[in-house]
Amino acid sequence: MRRTLDTGNAAITEGAIIAGCRLFAGYPITPATEIAENMSRRLPQVGGYYVQAEDEMTALHICIGGSLGGLKTMTATSGPGFILYADPMGWALGSEIPLVVVNAQRVGPVSGITGAPGQGEFYMSRYPTQGGNYETIVLAPNSVQEAFSITVEAFYLAERFRMPVIILADQLVTDGWESLSIPETPEEVEAMGLKVVPRRINKGPEFYPATDEIDIPPVVLGHNTGAACSDWTPTPEGYDTEEVDFQHKHAYRLIYKVRNHKDLITRYESYFVDDNPELILVAYGSPSRVVISAVKQAREKGMKVGALRLISLWPFPDEIFKVQAKYLSVELNYDGQLVREVQRAMPKGSEVHFFGKCGELPTVAELEEMMQALLAGKEIKARKWEWEAW
Amino acid sequence: MDYLATKYLRPRKIPSTACSGCGLGQAHKKVVKAIDELGLDIGDVIWGTGIGCAGRQTFNTWKGDNFAGTHGRAYAIATGLRMALPPDKKIIMTVGDGDAFGIGFLHLLNCARRNVGMTVIVLDNLGYQSTGGQYGWTTPQGYRTDSSPYGNREPNWTQEGRDVLNILREAGATFLARYTSLQGQEAVEAIKKAIMNNGFSLVHMPYPCVTNFAERALGTRKPVEIYKWFEEHTCSLHEKGPEDFAFRTGIYYDASNSRPEFSNYMRTWVAEIQRRYS
Ligand code: SF4
Repeated sequence: MRRTLDTGNAAITEGAIIAGCRLFAGYPITPATEIAENMSRRLPQVGGYYVQAEDEMTALHICIGGSLGGLKTMTATSGPGFILYADPMGWALGSEIPLVVVNAQRVGPVSGITGAPGQGEFYMSRYPTQGGNYETIVLAPNSVQEAFSITVEAFYLAERFRMPVIILADQLVTDGWESLSIPETPEEVEAMGLKVVPRRINKGPEFYPATDEIDIPPVVLGHNTGAACSDWTPTPEGYDTEEVDFQHKHAYRLIYKVRNHKDLITRYESYFVDDNPELILVAYGSPSRVVISAVKQAREKGMKVGALRLISLWPFPDEIFKVQAKYLSVELNYDGQLVREVQRAMPKGSEVHFFGKCGELPTVAELEEMMQALLAGKEIKARKWEWEAW
Repeated sequence: MDYLATKYLRPRKIPSTACSGCGLGQAHKKVVKAIDELGLDIGDVIWGTGIGCAGRQTFNTWKGDNFAGTHGRAYAIATGLRMALPPDKKIIMTVGDGDAFGIGFLHLLNCARRNVGMTVIVLDNLGYQSTGGQYGWTTPQGYRTDSSPYGNREPNWTQEGRDVLNILREAGATFLARYTSLQGQEAVEAIKKAIMNNGFSLVHMPYPCVTNFAERALGTRKPVEIYKWFEEHTCSLHEKGPEDFAFRTGIYYDASNSRPEFSNYMRTWVAEIQRRYS
């Protein structure tokens, strides 16, 4: 085990290398540039390739090509690049190409603030392309160490589910410095609870079974299996078709291979939710760390509050919202992207409120003020829009 | 194409769904013929396509491995694929003019710059014909299409002294040629050279679209008219050709195997880094 002090960007790089990533294509963008830089230094050392693409669209397409040729591949970006992934993302989802996409979220919209954390791509990570008829797998780390383990896990899920897996981080996680333990042997990898599966090759003849099965090897070209793979609606062999019947089967598979194996994906942490607290704070990524501190402190002060920290964002973990309560969604945006999902998942009779910050974390004091107000049913004048019950 | 079709193409894709009289079949056949004459096996070739008449009609016709990219993106996919594939596998791509010289031009230029090992055959039907016949980046200026009802006002990539092949040469491509689908063995020979170049090769192959281009530009769907028009507008690279517009054909540039191929270079370089740091 190697113990070091490093950034989330370094952790993601090392996680990818341990997971077997051997091709990284990317385009420099703050705050994900360091992943590209680290990859350019580390990949050649382990026999892998770094390609700096002419734009993000190219980067993800190069990753698709590399994966189609049998390499494990990854790309990393921030919001302005993530939007350019919309084109290749559909290709990768539709043709079931395993690869990993990192989004180090910064403040938006558009170019926004380059070096400040945001959480503006929550919905975009669920719907990252056109056409519909798919589910996504999205994981959100809240620390450097977790950025490492989630990257290994993302490759594992990508391989088993035969699809791109998105790591939705934020600038504080990717740029933040923390202690990091990196396993050096397969035994140490296993001891950390991490799993690595090799790239498998589909020898055909069925490339797109019309079932929800997982663990089907992905399409790999170059083995003369007659593999065919495209952006068009495929027949089970991967041929292009205009028949709606095949489209039904394809869509069924893309949606239900994820939904029906949700238990393999869903990860979360809960704090003080077993005694039916009156108020439950919900967060993911770096704000969740302030939320957890604030809730622990509030409990010590006798406030009946709890917290849910989402680690897997999509498929959305509806089932963890069991308690009828007031929910408070704490996010790094002002539009409350998580709010509607919480509202949809929470039991009848619950309420959802929103606390938004952008570019900086909320403070424990601010959250405490919110918690007190919500428990007392009071209005906070200065934060009227955040106070609004949905 | 019978003998070649049985040998190399998937039976379910023959005959193709291209309009009758379309020049696409002639062009497609030239590529398969070149592969055959080089003695390549099905397993030696990965066939890539894009979107449009050329992409849709040639996707998955190849009996071996196939891929198709969204409009203009096949070159970026091929770059990644090239890195992952064994060096002896050939990537041969049949794409359209919009795919190559319009929406995908940035990718194409960067493949040329990197000298990524692939053979791009641009099957050019002079505009966007699968969407019903709009002008594109090779539609001659002045010609009528559905989206240029008063005549195409935009300058194209192959007129008035401009030649898209110049740009690709400057970008670093190592083999460039242009032949129309009406030309014979010389076009096949050029495709063979393109395939044998271990680097970025492109053969621009204009072909007659009877349904849309001919109908709007020449006012007739009679194949003989567009074929005649093609012949009248074809000249050699060194000739001036007709005033309004010409397909200037021949081997434009042959610097085969003169620059390191991208993935080979990367492989050698990565091995060197590994040696240095192990
Ligand atoms: S529209 Fe034109 S180019 Fe397309 S298949 Fe028909 S004739 Fe050929």
